[in-house]
Amino acid sequence: MTKVIDVELRGIMKKFQSNVVVQNFNLQVEQGEFISFLGPSGCGKTTTLNMIAGFLDPDGGDLLIKGQRMNGVPPYKRELGMVFQTYSLFPHMTVAENIAYGLKLRKVNKQEMQERVNRVLSLVKLPNVADRYPKQLSGGQRQRIAIARALVIEPSLLLLDEPLSNLDAKLREELRDELKRLHHEIGVTTIFVTHDQEEALALSDRIVVMNHGFVEQIGTPLEIYNQPASEFVHTFIGKTNRLEGEVIGMDGDVLTLRTTGGMLVKAAKQQRTVALHEKVIIFIRPEKIKLTDTAVSDEANRVKGHLQLASFLGSYTECEVKAGEHTISVKVQMTDKSVEREEGQTVYCQWNADDVLVMPAGRG
Amino acid sequence: MSKRLSVTLLTAPAMILLLGVFILPMLMMLMLSFQDENQAFSLHNYSLFVQDPYYLEILWRTIRVSLWTVLASLLLGFPVAMYMAQATGKMRGIVTMLILAPHLISVVIRNFGWVVVLGEKGWINETLISLGLIDQPLRLLYNELGIVIGLTDSFIAYMVLAIATSLYAIDPSLNKAASILGASRMRTFFSVTLPLCLPGIIAGTTLVFSLSMSAFVTPALMGGTSVKVLPVIAYEQIMATLNWPLGAALAFLLLGSTILLVTLYTKLIETKRYKEVFAS
Amino acid sequence: MKKINVLGLITFFVLVLVNLPFLVIIPSSFTAAGYLAFPPEGFSWQWYEMILDRPEFIDSLWFSLKLATVTAILATFLGTLAAFALSKYKFRGSGIINALMLSPLTVPSLIIGISALLFFTRIGIAGTFTGLLLAHMLISIPYVVRLVLTGLSSFDYTLEKAGYMLGAHPLRVFWDITLPLLRPAIVSGMIFSFLTSFDNVTVSLFLVAPDTTTLPLAIFTYMQETLDPLVASISSVVILLSLVFIVLLEKVYGLERLFGLNSQSH
Repeated sequence: MTKVIDVELRGIMKKFQSNVVVQNFNLQVEQGEFISFLGPSGCGKTTTLNMIAGFLDPDGGDLLIKGQRMNGVPPYKRELGMVFQTYSLFPHMTVAENIAYGLKLRKVNKQEMQERVNRVLSLVKLPNVADRYPKQLSGGQRQRIAIARALVIEPSLLLLDEPLSNLDAKLREELRDELKRLHHEIGVTTIFVTHDQEEALALSDRIVVMNHGFVEQIGTPLEIYNQPASEFVHTFIGKTNRLEGEVIGMDGDVLTLRTTGGMLVKAAKQQRTVALHEKVIIFIRPEKIKLTDTAVSDEANRVKGHLQLASFLGSYTECEVKAGEHTISVKVQMTDKSVEREEGQTVYCQWNADDVLVMPAGRG
Repeated sequence: MSKRLSVTLLTAPAMILLLGVFILPMLMMLMLSFQDENQAFSLHNYSLFVQDPYYLEILWRTIRVSLWTVLASLLLGFPVAMYMAQATGKMRGIVTMLILAPHLISVVIRNFGWVVVLGEKGWINETLISLGLIDQPLRLLYNELGIVIGLTDSFIAYMVLAIATSLYAIDPSLNKAASILGASRMRTFFSVTLPLCLPGIIAGTTLVFSLSMSAFVTPALMGGTSVKVLPVIAYEQIMATLNWPLGAALAFLLLGSTILLVTLYTKLIETKRYKEVFAS
Repeated sequence: MKKINVLGLITFFVLVLVNLPFLVIIPSSFTAAGYLAFPPEGFSWQWYEMILDRPEFIDSLWFSLKLATVTAILATFLGTLAAFALSKYKFRGSGIINALMLSPLTVPSLIIGISALLFFTRIGIAGTFTGLLLAHMLISIPYVVRLVLTGLSSFDYTLEKAGYMLGAHPLRVFWDITLPLLRPAIVSGMIFSFLTSFDNVTVSLFLVAPDTTTLPLAIFTYMQETLDPLVASISSVVILLSLVFIVLLEKVYGLERLFGLNSQSH
């Protein structure tokens, strides 16, 4: 099966005055793919989306949609769907009129218009709000209608600009699942811009992690999480313990490291090569660390400390362990067997060499 | 369409009007005010103002009348603003409507109403005489008092609105905070409410002052022929005496002294501390 | 509680005071006597019938209505265009243009009137409808600009983006989305311009000629000569007319909002 490329960015560059905000962006989006642009604010993700939508023109490189070069084509000729963070429903039109607006512009006849509006309303599970005004709907409902309005014209590409950011936590999760369901149902190629790593991980086929206008990594959620290409990617996605240290031994693929606090860490094979005696940064995810009352493993990858803080968060407990000069975060999952721990208690933190990520210091 | 072209096309009609009917004529007027009878450059019109006590007396009267108007609007307007700030939605709406609506009806008509009320054979005098409280009608009109009444009626809405706006902006929990700390209502008013609505008071007083200084219709109708203010004199120079250069100079002197006084006033009242608190 | 009552009392007093002129004028206009008096003596329509015999009032009423209507339409059009440019585009000099647009509000009407007289005399339009129209547009435009700018400041420009994305041409977006949402601001700009022109005396004063006199000015001139119930009856007509527009303005926009903008800068 040959891949159909829906969107292609070739060396896209954008600057505002002399300030480069997107640098050499290359990407191919396959038909039906759900791609997220993830990064902190100011990383260039929204600028890139605006270039795809046609609100901005790239200062360099080519943008292709369905194989056609789109540079300079105004947004209203691109046949795309877009959903905005602020819903952006027309307040002076009813829900039905909002959805039908795109169809009206395409001169779809009355009866077909009616059918398509109804179909898309049931698709977003709001079949009974057609005659209401946006003001009369809740935030979640408004965003569903905005999605319906974007989908009804059957766009070649759906652009989502932080569509969940204005919703409160519970609704956000609900609508996130809804987006996933919709994407499974209609399979429209989707580009999703977000600063929320959980949303990106949950929804995407692939994620583009961006920072300061550069693409840091493009990969599946699993690749991004487990094999980060840079310190930025690793720290931006999920919580982590960051330790500084030095390579003091190499035994085949296994590294022995000593932290600045004197702790011994063993690490399994790494993607990035490091040299003996090289200064390194060591990352261990909190959920990979186990808390025990007694020492189980050997001297490396084990540290004794005091439980300084334990915050119960429902399905897990977030702990902070003070071990020498290190403060280690540990995420303890709630299981039947979990013991209630008290702050001040002496505990051991232990982890596997497979779960240690080592990167050369000062090389990004 | 490029941005520059859009901006030019959109703003050009209004800009042409503003430059052609306002800025350019004003420059012409300024130049004219420096001309003597032979159209030569001269400071005569301005020096006349300083030399002739007649004009200084007129200027002083204009300022005096404006100050009284400011005082009257402040004393009457402040309680109204307070009331509006404390009132609930519906009542506040009614008060707002009743204080603002008169403002949209011609000042000539409002002044006429006052003439009917205050005149020698007006409502007040007739009532007082019929009650036997006075023998001779009181002189309420065609003097400075008449002008102040008319101007206060004209401009009090601006004062009320300026103060009410700043009162609305005060966080109501501040009053609670002051009470919890042990301040009486009076104390709360003087140490919290009054200082925080100072910007409103300043805006209201400067606005009412500037408007009163340049008011023409009310002084002409309620001041009569003997009590003249600067705008009336300027009008007469232009339309009756046809001494346009002097009329123009008088109008600019009026504007200049208004700006000078307002600037002095704000400089005086807006201390360093005030600026720090209300810096935008 | 007691304090609110004192405030309420003063407020009531002030409200009566500012509305007193109308409370006096309207009854006086129905007097049966031949002279001005309050309270009026008897009841009659004679002073209203008298208006019909005074062409200077009838003519100037029509003239004023015509002038105010044309002023409102043109000032709203010009002001709205300018406000759009100021709000939508960031460009060098926009601060200066903005200040210029509002500047007629900061200069006394007296100076506007005199300078217009000087200029219009030179170009030969003093005392004409055109001259009055230009001057009235000048003093109305700042209000329109301010109202529309305020309307635009709360306008969500992503709505326009949403329109483009659905395939609407920019002109279509303007017509279907931007304009309907700004209607309250634009309509109240228009009504306010109408009233500004219809009420004005100080600027008109310098620009009228015998056959081009506005109604307020006709009343002003008449009042300086004679004070009789005729002034009351013609004034009542004007009050009634103005009231229609004031109610309209309150419905469309709200007076409080309108004046809230008004008093903030001068």
